[in-house]
Amino acid sequence: MGNFKLTTVEEFEAATNRLLETGAKVGADAWQLRVKNQTPHCKFGEQGVCCRICSMGPCRITPKAPRGICGCDVHGIVARNYLKFTAGGSATHSDHGREICHTLYCSSPDGAYKVKDPEKLMKIAKEWGVETEGKDIYDLAHEVAVLGLEEYGKVFGTQRFLKRAPKHTQEIWEREEIAPRAIDREVSCSLHMTHMGCSSLPEALIRQSLRSGLSDGWGGSMAGTEFSDVLFGTPKPIDTEANLGVMEVENVNIVVHGHDPSLSEMICEYADDPEMIAYAKSKGAKGITVSGVCCTSNEVAMRRGIPMAGNFLQQENVVLTGACEAIVVDVQCIFPALGPLSKCFHTKFITTSPIAQMPDSEFIRFNAETAAENAKAIVKAAIDNFENRKPDLVYIPDMKQKATVGYSLEAIVKTLDGVTNSQVDELGTTKPLIECITSGVIRGAVAMVGCNNPKIRPDSAHIELMKKLIANDVIIVASGCSAQAAAKAGLMDKQAKDLCGAGLKRVCELADIPPVLHMGSCVDISRMMNLVAELAKDSGLNISQLPVVGCAPEWMSEKAVSIGNYVVATGIDTYLGVDPYVSGSDKVAELLTSGIRDWVEAAYTVEKDIDKLGDAMMARIEEKRAALGI
Amino acid sequence: MTLFERVFNGNDAVYGLTEAAIDNAIAQHGADKAVSFPNTAYSLPCYYGVTGTKVGNLGDLKNALGVVKTLMTRENRLNDAFMSGVATALCAEFIEVLKYIDGAAPYAEPCYGHLADAIIRELGVPLVTGDIPGVAVILGSAPTAEEGVALVKSYQAQGILVTLVGGIIDQCEEMGYKTGANVRVIPLGKDVTSVIHVVSVAVRAALIFGNITPGDAAGLMKYTFERVPAFVNAFGPLDDVVVACGAGAIALGFPVITNETENIFRVPKSLIVQEDVSKFNATSLEARDIKIKITNIDIPVAFASAFEGEIIRRG
Repeated sequence: MGNFKLTTVEEFEAATNRLLETGAKVGADAWQLRVKNQTPHCKFGEQGVCCRICSMGPCRITPKAPRGICGCDVHGIVARNYLKFTAGGSATHSDHGREICHTLYCSSPDGAYKVKDPEKLMKIAKEWGVETEGKDIYDLAHEVAVLGLEEYGKVFGTQRFLKRAPKHTQEIWEREEIAPRAIDREVSCSLHMTHMGCSSLPEALIRQSLRSGLSDGWGGSMAGTEFSDVLFGTPKPIDTEANLGVMEVENVNIVVHGHDPSLSEMICEYADDPEMIAYAKSKGAKGITVSGVCCTSNEVAMRRGIPMAGNFLQQENVVLTGACEAIVVDVQCIFPALGPLSKCFHTKFITTSPIAQMPDSEFIRFNAETAAENAKAIVKAAIDNFENRKPDLVYIPDMKQKATVGYSLEAIVKTLDGVTNSQVDELGTTKPLIECITSGVIRGAVAMVGCNNPKIRPDSAHIELMKKLIANDVIIVASGCSAQAAAKAGLMDKQAKDLCGAGLKRVCELADIPPVLHMGSCVDISRMMNLVAELAKDSGLNISQLPVVGCAPEWMSEKAVSIGNYVVATGIDTYLGVDPYVSGSDKVAELLTSGIRDWVEAAYTVEKDIDKLGDAMMARIEEKRAALGI
Repeated sequence: MTLFERVFNGNDAVYGLTEAAIDNAIAQHGADKAVSFPNTAYSLPCYYGVTGTKVGNLGDLKNALGVVKTLMTRENRLNDAFMSGVATALCAEFIEVLKYIDGAAPYAEPCYGHLADAIIRELGVPLVTGDIPGVAVILGSAPTAEEGVALVKSYQAQGILVTLVGGIIDQCEEMGYKTGANVRVIPLGKDVTSVIHVVSVAVRAALIFGNITPGDAAGLMKYTFERVPAFVNAFGPLDDVVVACGAGAIALGFPVITNETENIFRVPKSLIVQEDVSKFNATSLEARDIKIKITNIDIPVAFASAFEGEIIRRG
C-alpha cells in the first residue's frame, strides 16, 4: 500500500519522445512521422465511398456522381467495402486458428509440441462426439485436429462450436441465416458477394458481415484459443510485468511479436535452455530476456508470465531502445517499418512465416515439423548478435508495472469458486459473478479489446475508459492491445483495487483479483464469448439481457471489425471509438447502429468523444439493469 | 425492488424516525439537554468513530443528524448503499442514546442495551488472542425457539461471543436458556435499533485496540473488516430497515447470513441465503473465514471457555 501509482500516458509519451531522439540520431523513420505525411486522409476513403473492385473504376460517390459506373449506389459501395474489411479480419484469425490445428496435428510425445492440457482435449473431443475411451491421447489429438481442420472447409452444416451458445442465441443465428458454415466458405462467399455485379443490397452485405464475423469468433478464433490451450496449457493467474522497462540492459533481449504461439512458445522454451543461457554468458551477457509485443506477447504472458514490452504502437520503441538483439515475428500487425528501422541498429528483424514476408528482414522459415531447430537457430542468432550492440545507442526507459494475468474462463470460474460458500453454493459456475451483478455490487462488465490507432492518443482511450468504468463498479475483461495498455498503466496490479468504486473494490479484495482481467490475445476474445454464454446459461437470461457491453476504443485492424461483428451478432452491444468507413452511407450507418438490433438484439455505437463513449456504455448497462429490475 | 432500493428505503425510514425523535426530545427538554451513554469515554462511539466528533447535547445531536444526512447519497453504487447502511447505524445510535436521557435505565433484565467500556476491554484480550474466535450477531426470531437456542448454543460451544437482538431473546427465555455477559451470550434489546450496541463494541475495539484515529472512517472499516471476526445471522422476514442495517454490517466487513428467500439478493461472501437454520453456524464461520479447531469431549454437558464465568446458584 501507499506507493502504488499508475503510469500515465504522459509518462509513456515522454519515454517515447526520448526514444525518438535516439531514432533521429540514427536517421530512423517512425510512425509518428509517417502519420504526418499521410494527413489529411482522403475523405472518400474515410467515408467508404470509394470503390476499386473492377477496372472500370476507381469510382467515387459525390453529390454530382451519385452512382458508380456499374450503377451501384453509395450504400452498396460502403456495405461492400465493409464486408471486404470484415472478411479480411475473419480470414486472418481463422488462418491463425488453422495453423494451431495443424500444430496440434503435429504434436507427439517426444516432439517439440506436446499435449499439455489433455483434460481440455478430452472435453473438446466429447463436445464434438469423438470417442475418447481407451484412446492414446496423441491419437485423440490428431483425430480432433483433423476435425478442427475440417471446420474450415466442411461441406455441410455449420460450425461445431456454435452449440456452446445458449439455445436462444443459436435460434437467432438460424432464424437470421447467419449461422456460419465452413470458415473459409464464409470468407470466400464474402469475396464473391463483393465482386462487381453481385450484391449491392446493404442488408445482404451486412448480414454476410455478421456471418463472416461469427465464423471467426465461434470458428477460427475459438479453434485458435482452444487448441492453443490444449498444446500450451490453459492459462492460470500468473504474475508478470509490462512496459519497456522489462527489457534488461545486461541481457540478450529477444522480442517476440505477432500472433501465433507456436513460434513464441518455442522461442521461450529455448531461451530457458541452460545450454543457451551458458552460450549467452560466453558472449558477455548476463542471461536472456524474452519479452513480447502484441498478441503473441499476450499468449506467452498468459501461459508463462513472459513480460510484455508493449502493444501495437510501441513496436518500434522496442528497437529504438538499441538493446534489442532480435525481434522475431510471425504474422499480423507487424509494421513493415521494422525492417528499415532495424537496419539503423544492430537488431535482427527475423520473419518466420511465408504468410508475412517483408523486405529488409532475415527470413528463417518456421514450421511445426522443424520447430525445435528453427527456434534454436533464432535464439542462437540473437545471442550471436549481442556483441554487435552499440552501447551509446542503448536506452531502456525505466518504466514498468506489475500485472497479474492468465484469466482464462477456466481460471475465472476457479477464482469464483473461491468466493462460494460450501454450505449453499455449487462449484464450477459463474453464479457468484451473476450474484455480484444482480445485487448491484458490480454494475456490469465491459469487454475492452482492440488495437492502438494514431487517430487517438495511443492508450489514452483504453486507460481513461478503464479508470472511469472501474470507479463506477464496472468490472473489465480485456484482451489484445487494450489489455496491454491496462498492464502498462498498472491496472492489472491487484493494488489497482484502490481506484475502484466500493463494490468492485470489495470484489477484488474477496476474490483476490485485479479490477481488469487479462483474458488473453485477440483470438482469445472467443474466451469472452464462452464466458457470456456461461453467464447466460447460469442466469437463465439471454446474452442480450446481460448488463455487458463490448468496447474497442482505439481499434485499427480488419480483425477488429470482424471481432466487432461477431460480438454484436452474439447479442452484445459494441462501442467503437474510431469510425468504421461507413459514414458515407446513412443506410449502412443506420443498419449497424440500429437496424441489426432487430436481427441479433444488439448493435454498434460509434462515439469519438471517449468520455461520452464511457457514459454511453454505462447508460446502456443501467438500461439493461432496469429492464431486468436489478 | 433492487437491493439498493431496499437499503435506501430502510435508511430513509430510520432517518425519518430519528429526526422526529430528536425534534421531540428537543421540544421536550431543550437543545442544551445533555445526552450520553453510561460508562463510556467515547461519547456516541459509532458516530465518534466515523466522524471524530463528540456529541454532548441534543443540539449537537441535531447537527450530527445533518452530517448523517450527507452520507445518504442515492446513486446506484455500493458505496452509496454502504454509506446508507452506516447512516442507518448512526441513526440507530441516536435513537438509542435518547433512551438514556436523564440517566434513565431503559434496559431491564435480561437485556443489556449499551455495553460499558469495561466489558469491551475485558472481551478485547480474548478477541485478540483468538480465545473468542468470533462474534455472532443474531437478529430476529428463529423459525422455532428450539432452532434458535440450538444455534446460540452451537456458537457458545465454539467460544464465540453471541449477541442477541429481537425475538431470539424471547425464544431463549421461553426455553429457559441462560444468557448474560458471563456466559458470553448477551441479549442487547428487543428493538432492531439495539443492534447498534454490538456495532459499538466493534467500533470501540478499533479505537481501543486498533489505535484507529476517530474520524478515520476508511481506516475504521478496514480494521473491522480485517480484525473483528463478526458476522450477522438475520432471520426472515427481513424488512427494509434490517436490510439497511445489514448493509452497514457488510460495510464493516461482516457477512450477513439469512434464511430469507423473498426479495433478497445474494452477494458472495457478504449476503448469503441459507434456508437451513441448522447450517447457519457452518455457513457463517466459512463466510467469515473463522477456523476453529474443536476437540469434542464426549460429556453430557456443554464445554467451552464461555462457561467459565457461569455462576451456579443454589437450588
